[in-house]
Amino acid sequence: MNSFKLTNINIGRTLIYLLLLFFAFIYLAPLYVMFTTSLKDIEEIRSGNLMALPMDPTFYAWKKAWSSACTGSECRGLAPFFWNSVRIVFPAVIISTIIGAFNGYALAKWKFKGSEFIFGALLFGCFIPFQVILLPMAKLLGSLGLANTVTGLVLVHVIYGVAFTTLFFRNYYVGIPTELVKAAKLDGAGFFAIFRHVFIPLSTPIFVVTIIWQFTQIWNDFLFGVVYSGSGTQPITVALNNLVNTSVGGKEYNVDMAAAIIAAMPTLVVYVIAGKYFVKGLTAGAVKG
Amino acid sequence: MGSISLNGIKKSFGETEVLKDINLDIKDGEFLILIGPSGCGKSTLMNLIAGLEELTGGEIVIDGNDVSEESPKDRDIAMVFQSYALYPTMNVARNICFGLEMSKMPKNEQEIILKRVSSLLQIDHLLDRKPGQLSGGQRQRVAMGRALARSPKVFLFDEPLSNLDAKLRVEMRTEIKKLHKRIGTTIVYVTHDQIEAMTLADRIAVLKDGELQQVGTPYEIYNDPVSHFVADFMGSPGMNFIECIVKDQNLIIDSGGEKYELSIPCKDALNNSNLDVVLLGIRPEMLTEIQPLVADNSFVQQIKFDVEVLEPMGADTVAIGQWNENEVMARLSPESGNTAGKGFDLQVDTSKAILFDPNTGLRIR
Amino acid sequence: MFNFLEKNLPKIVLAPTTILMIVCMYGFIIWTGLISLTKSKMMPQWEFVGLDQYFRLFGNPRWDVAVDNLFVFLILFILIALVLGLLLAIFLDQKIRVEGAIRTIYLYPMAISFIVTGTAWKWILNPGLGIEKLMHDWGFVGFEFRWLVESDMAIYTIVIAAVWQSSGFVMALFLAGLRGVDDNLTKAAKIDGASTPRLYWHIILPLMRPVFFSAIVILTHIAIKSFDLVQALTGGGPGYASDLPANFMYTYSFNRAQIGVGAASAMIMLFGVLAVLIPYLYSELREKKS
Repeated sequence: MNSFKLTNINIGRTLIYLLLLFFAFIYLAPLYVMFTTSLKDIEEIRSGNLMALPMDPTFYAWKKAWSSACTGSECRGLAPFFWNSVRIVFPAVIISTIIGAFNGYALAKWKFKGSEFIFGALLFGCFIPFQVILLPMAKLLGSLGLANTVTGLVLVHVIYGVAFTTLFFRNYYVGIPTELVKAAKLDGAGFFAIFRHVFIPLSTPIFVVTIIWQFTQIWNDFLFGVVYSGSGTQPITVALNNLVNTSVGGKEYNVDMAAAIIAAMPTLVVYVIAGKYFVKGLTAGAVKG
Repeated sequence: MGSISLNGIKKSFGETEVLKDINLDIKDGEFLILIGPSGCGKSTLMNLIAGLEELTGGEIVIDGNDVSEESPKDRDIAMVFQSYALYPTMNVARNICFGLEMSKMPKNEQEIILKRVSSLLQIDHLLDRKPGQLSGGQRQRVAMGRALARSPKVFLFDEPLSNLDAKLRVEMRTEIKKLHKRIGTTIVYVTHDQIEAMTLADRIAVLKDGELQQVGTPYEIYNDPVSHFVADFMGSPGMNFIECIVKDQNLIIDSGGEKYELSIPCKDALNNSNLDVVLLGIRPEMLTEIQPLVADNSFVQQIKFDVEVLEPMGADTVAIGQWNENEVMARLSPESGNTAGKGFDLQVDTSKAILFDPNTGLRIR
Repeated sequence: MFNFLEKNLPKIVLAPTTILMIVCMYGFIIWTGLISLTKSKMMPQWEFVGLDQYFRLFGNPRWDVAVDNLFVFLILFILIALVLGLLLAIFLDQKIRVEGAIRTIYLYPMAISFIVTGTAWKWILNPGLGIEKLMHDWGFVGFEFRWLVESDMAIYTIVIAAVWQSSGFVMALFLAGLRGVDDNLTKAAKIDGASTPRLYWHIILPLMRPVFFSAIVILTHIAIKSFDLVQALTGGGPGYASDLPANFMYTYSFNRAQIGVGAASAMIMLFGVLAVLIPYLYSELREKKS
């Protein structure tokens, strides 16, 4: 009887491992395909298949994707748009995170009549489909002279990112004992002093989570990018889409794949290095609802 | 120097009235304890004195100054919290000096105070550690050090010993009492533990549902309670309450089995009250095994007692059982406790008995 | 003066965000709503025509396709992602040795843009050179996979790519939920003789209700917003066979200079989200109160 049960359990566990590995393969497959395709030449792509390893790996596609592929009317590769994204992401992440920190602190530890309502309204705003603000925002940017500019995009990302960053910081700060604030008040510290001396030293984890989350969201954004940028100011996601959909002189699938990897690289690297903070951000934001 | 006057203090949160009309004068240098059941408002009162909450009505006067509108830092008050609330990312030295830092005191002056305080509390070897690296008792001391460093007019303690284990609690209690003797600053101390209250206080203020029930010395509260509530709340094990019939200035307990007639000291008060039925309050230490030397007193009687549960406490044994179908608690010597059972001979001493009106709960005087 | 500042500092700090929120969220929603009641075409024209644009919207065959697609997509996407995510979470909860590595692999798709996902899957599902050719090379000569260019199947390619991207996230949610189950509960059940499958079915899964709801709300939100994926994977095609409301809105507002209709479609999307969100919030609040 005992050995039967043991084998049963073993069979069960082996099955589970197999299934898990199978799915791991499915999740990794597209990445594998992207890499191998990007290293093949067009002949090999046409004659071979998805899973085949490149016979004679070449970086032709990568060079072309970076510096000379056509993204619509220009053929400067993804490079200029990569830097556009960088110029958009850095200020947007930093500004939205800092504002979120102050907001979260105020909402969590300095409640006043209506503060919970403001929080609720902000939270609600996280859920609206952005389609409902696309048109009026376009008009606003136009009237501010920021249409099709990097600054305009930064502004948009800050405005709509602050709701999330505030949520993250507020939920985090709620978990810090309020008695610390009371003790600090008695010690003579005011709003900013308490933030600076007591809360900020405790905030490293949430800063990391928020920055990674914001970086990923803004780098990967397409909607705001495609609506609010012009031909010189497009972020890399928009350029990638243009590149893939421009088939001047026949489709070059290897270039497409190389371009896709280049676009995905920064957030993937961040994920691999700091993945667990990313997960914390995802589940923290989500489970709180 | 550190006298406090609470005049007509009222506090409401929205619709709920938490403190109804508190009037209390605390003398300079006094150790006053606020005690009461959960929800009585003692912590709220503490927060009001500290300035962490705003008054709905009334005024707070510290050392002759009306501080009702002042922020906490301007009231010259220091507080020790139940959870200590030590700044987790600062070391002990900075925790203690933080208040001084906020008042822009020069570094060298801070050093002097730090030295004085840390040696007083014997934490000078811990100055570089962070709160996370300290034991419960050490954190307690650092919290007190932080409060001491500011040389305030008043110390507020909000249940500072609740988070400590039993043995440590007793140790720290003594420490606090010694500290008070040494520095003599006014202390307002909140606790729900009446043993702490009895051992530490100069005076105790008993709160219930936002109202002061009684303010007095431990002796007064224990032996001269003004109401059934105060009598019941203070003392462990609690006071026994027995319904008795009044007859000719004596009390009859006639509920089952035998009939007992008890003589009590406050005959005049009983007369004036015109009550037929009263609640007799008698502390467990007044019900003991037969003690021959005392047995001659007119207030002492022998009764039959059916023991149900024995609780040996070491120094004595608490016996819980039935006296004429009334459940009472008695304090027996450990030896008697060993043999006590059904039909045990108990000695009742009513010389310190207290009477209450069964309807209002108030003391009959 | 100083005292006033001190007392109101929190409010002052929150003021800019609050104003921005009022203007750029709620104000803008009202603006879009109003525009949807006008006859605006390329530029806003404040001539009110009642619900005209909505009637035009509902009579538009492309919108019909988009809405139908949304329902198909929603149901399949949510169902498959939930089941898959739950299963994977349950498996991972069995004290697997390489759990950390596997979790990392399941979740990495969330880190990349939907555009990249769409691009990659567009290649994988390429009618001539993608999976079809792979299967042929592996011996399954009769295998056909041309969904990308078939009008009635194109929407399913979107489901595949979306599930690939988001099921890892659902897994993470469920895993966190499973881990939050009190150990003592599991022990008590085992002592009572419950086998592992019954343990999950009768005790643990019912405890996962809040996670289910969170996941559904978030997945619905992702689905309704799905714009990037469609643009990259199918471009809405063939024709507009795989259009979703978000793509419809973009096309009509920015490519076809029909912002009246575009605004109407955006408002309908908003109502769709609210229809799921409000009951959820209501039931959450009620539970908190009791």
